[in-house]
Amino acid sequence: MIEFASAIAGAVLLLLLTAVALKGWLASRQLGPGLAASEEDATEPCPEEFVNRVFSRADWQFVHGLEAGGIERLFEQERKKVALVWVRHTFAMVRKVMREHARAARQSKNLKISTEINIFGQFLMLMGVCGILSAAIQVAGPLWLGGLAHFAQRLSQRVSKLQETFQAGVLANAGEAGSA
Amino acid sequence: MLSQTIWWSSNALEVCLLARGASSRLIFRYPVFYTYLLFVLLQSPIRLVAYRWHKETWYGPVYWTTEFLGLAIGCLVVFEIYRAALAAYPGTAKMARNVLLFLFVLALAKCGAALWSDPHLLGETTPLQMERALRTVQAISIVALVTLFASYSIPFGRNLRGILLGYGLFIGERVICLTFVPVAGKDFWFYAYSASYLVALSMWLKHLWSYQAIPEAESAQLEREYQMIATATQRRLQEVRGQLRKAVRS
Repeated sequence: MIEFASAIAGAVLLLLLTAVALKGWLASRQLGPGLAASEEDATEPCPEEFVNRVFSRADWQFVHGLEAGGIERLFEQERKKVALVWVRHTFAMVRKVMREHARAARQSKNLKISTEINIFGQFLMLMGVCGILSAAIQVAGPLWLGGLAHFAQRLSQRVSKLQETFQAGVLANAGEAGSA
Repeated sequence: MLSQTIWWSSNALEVCLLARGASSRLIFRYPVFYTYLLFVLLQSPIRLVAYRWHKETWYGPVYWTTEFLGLAIGCLVVFEIYRAALAAYPGTAKMARNVLLFLFVLALAKCGAALWSDPHLLGETTPLQMERALRTVQAISIVALVTLFASYSIPFGRNLRGILLGYGLFIGERVICLTFVPVAGKDFWFYAYSASYLVALSMWLKHLWSYQAIPEAESAQLEREYQMIATATQRRLQEVRGQLRKAVRS
């Protein structure tokens, strides 16, 4: 078991150093700026109306009302592309915020470890949400995300109701056992 | 024959590195690293003498003493990398100190727990197993340091990057080889174990041929309070979070 853990630690170190070396090599050959430039563009968040519009079903209901299958499919494809671009833009913005934070924080003498861990946790959570959102858009499309969210909410409500019932049952049993 | 080739090549590369280090005055910038190289170069003739004339009595103790001394100086090399890379970045240096302290306490606790459950463990552990355990701790520490360097975008000069990459690759390869190397006999892992140092030496020779300064940190941010920076980042992340929530709920 210990041997296996050692081999994994060695492999992780080798992979990490290879990635760092590769990144340095790409930067020195100036192949990286393409990606960096796209991240630099992500300075401002998209307007709120834009986000509401992309994920809203109002436009889809209008197109659906036209009863033209071709236009409907085209509309769904285009909306999916726009939604994915928005998720990518948000992803880039989060990375940019973290990069700027790292540049500023690395020189602070009074850096707080707990705050850094908190910020890193938020960053990981947002990365995860972007990943899940991207996968959900690919699978279901942006127009059905609202439905997915409602479904998740209904599911979590049902789970908490079940938990309450279970807890009430446990308490009742404990009460009966105590009186006996 | 292959062992001889690796041995002679390693010594030749070490001499070349030390000569280049002296002529480019890199020896004075990274004294611990060059002391490590000199130590490894000197340990070869010492081991050879012990092997030739006192094989039965002295070779084993001499081999393992020099091996563990090399490991200890190697830890100092990691400390030199940390010191040189983070001299201008007190924030990241503080984070690195805490992370390394946490890892050290974790390793000690694991060791203590193992000894508690089996008091004879220390007597039953072979030097090879001991080296593997210590090298693994060293590998994990380097992983933590490299992750921090990458997270905080710490700029490296060519020389320091070479020392870190070479030593990190050497430790990574050695940990893997130590997992599979046989106690007796010579197979692929025995030669890979010996050749891992040759790979590190080649990398060092490439990166340490001449001196190159470490890019300086921009000092404009120095005056900013950490709390301000952290609050601004958290606010911006909250904004993105709000947008994502709206997108899902719309």
